[in-house]
Amino acid sequence: MDVLVESVRQVWEGRHGAPVIALDGVTHRFQSGRFSCVLGPSGCGKSTLAQIIGGLEHATSGRVEMRDPGSPSATIPDGAASVMVWQSQNLFPWRTVIDNVAFGLQMSGVAKRERYDRASALLATVGLQGFEHHYPAQLSGGMRQRVALARALIMERPVMLMDEPFGALDAQTKIVMQEELLRIFEVTRKTIIFITHAIDEAILLGDEVIVMTSRPGRIKEVMEVNLPRPRTLEMVNTPEFGALFDRAFHSIRDEVRRAMAEQSAAIRGAA
Amino acid sequence: MNKSPKSMLFQRALPTLIIVAFLVGWQLFVSLRGLQPIYLPAPLAILSAMYQMAADGTLFVNLGTTLLRILGGFLLATVTGIGLGLVMGMSRLVQRIVDPWIAALYPLPKIALIPLLVIWLGTGEAYKIIISAITAFFPIVMNTYAGVCQVDRGLMKAAQDLGASRRQVQFHVVLPAAVPTIFAGLQLGMGVTIIMVIAAEMIGSSGQGGMGYVLINAGQILETETVFAALVVLALMGAAIMKLQAWLGDWLVPWTKIR
Repeated sequence: MDVLVESVRQVWEGRHGAPVIALDGVTHRFQSGRFSCVLGPSGCGKSTLAQIIGGLEHATSGRVEMRDPGSPSATIPDGAASVMVWQSQNLFPWRTVIDNVAFGLQMSGVAKRERYDRASALLATVGLQGFEHHYPAQLSGGMRQRVALARALIMERPVMLMDEPFGALDAQTKIVMQEELLRIFEVTRKTIIFITHAIDEAILLGDEVIVMTSRPGRIKEVMEVNLPRPRTLEMVNTPEFGALFDRAFHSIRDEVRRAMAEQSAAIRGAA
Repeated sequence: MNKSPKSMLFQRALPTLIIVAFLVGWQLFVSLRGLQPIYLPAPLAILSAMYQMAADGTLFVNLGTTLLRILGGFLLATVTGIGLGLVMGMSRLVQRIVDPWIAALYPLPKIALIPLLVIWLGTGEAYKIIISAITAFFPIVMNTYAGVCQVDRGLMKAAQDLGASRRQVQFHVVLPAAVPTIFAGLQLGMGVTIIMVIAAEMIGSSGQGGMGYVLINAGQILETETVFAALVVLALMGAAIMKLQAWLGDWLVPWTKIR
């Protein structure tokens, strides 16, 4: 599924009356079956972009379109072709693991037997067999994120939007989850749009890295990542990786500095 | 501190030992000083009064009557309170209309409504159930409304993303997310229901029974043993209801017990 983002602009009502431009003139074509990483400093509107693409927020102007390369004339309603994986997981605390995973199927009226079978199978593939009847609060952060992943995968939607899904995990768990995601990508070849502020993560996972400017969020540059797939963690030590890291780092460093200067100015202004 | 098994056992048993010592001391104090039972009956006399009430059946008739009234008032308050609270949480208009009424009526001590309700409804069952229902209604409606309002937006968005319709979001996300807060409101409501039913039974309840009537009647004819016996029964009833609620809570909202 191709995802076309055209001139997306998002303006928020500011706290002191002045409007805040979160996103401005964002145009990009996310190609079907590619893993795209959106890299930006915090507050650059990258999460907002993910929600606009997912049909969960309405842009002030501009449009998002999803198009099946196989049947380009078919129109797809907002949000119907994508599913979101959130940093905070947003698991339902009153539902057990299996009922969280089966939520989407339940909403579309799939019978209990079938949705449990499918949810169990998915839980096994993300390594959570035996935890079907635990509540989310009984699991570790990494396990909760696996549940969230399974809950998204069960929807079988062609586009997966991932909003800093590993941002809150500890370093080791994060590495394991990245490997897991790479494995899933190899098997499913979904169109993945992955939001992150971690440079190494963006390069390790993505076929392309879209660097965003700080407020207002614009696309600063698009870097192609030509590392071979399947990707492995060892690639971090290759010169290609190092060169890409350098380029992305210099690109984003100015943005982070600018964002920090703006934030301290805002705090000084408010005081 | 010494943690030998012996001292652990002693620490475990100490609360019970103190209660026993208190009762024995009370018994001895009354019999040695020769106190009149009108002022302070001995524990054994209270026990025998309780046995008497149980033997002639008055205990069960009056306790049953009181429990039925509590249940009636509580159910009425639960249905109306949760119903209105949910509607308020889901409709901004309803919330705006209802808000000033709740703000005005909530601070009013509900027991002050007894004279008015007696004028309108007499001193029968309707009055006792309505006064307790009105009192319990407020904590229930306010907690329900607060519970619905506090639902995590992220969860609602996640459900929408997973294909839930607007109605499914209300039923599968907003409602279960509000359940712990609603349940806390029900616990508050149950507490005030018990108070108001007993109070209503004490005021103008001649011949209609109930533990409140037993209490006030025994007090008026200076049957102090019966007063104490009724108090003990009420305390046990309250403890039983609290236990039942805790058990219901574990069953209804098991996920809040984890961590």
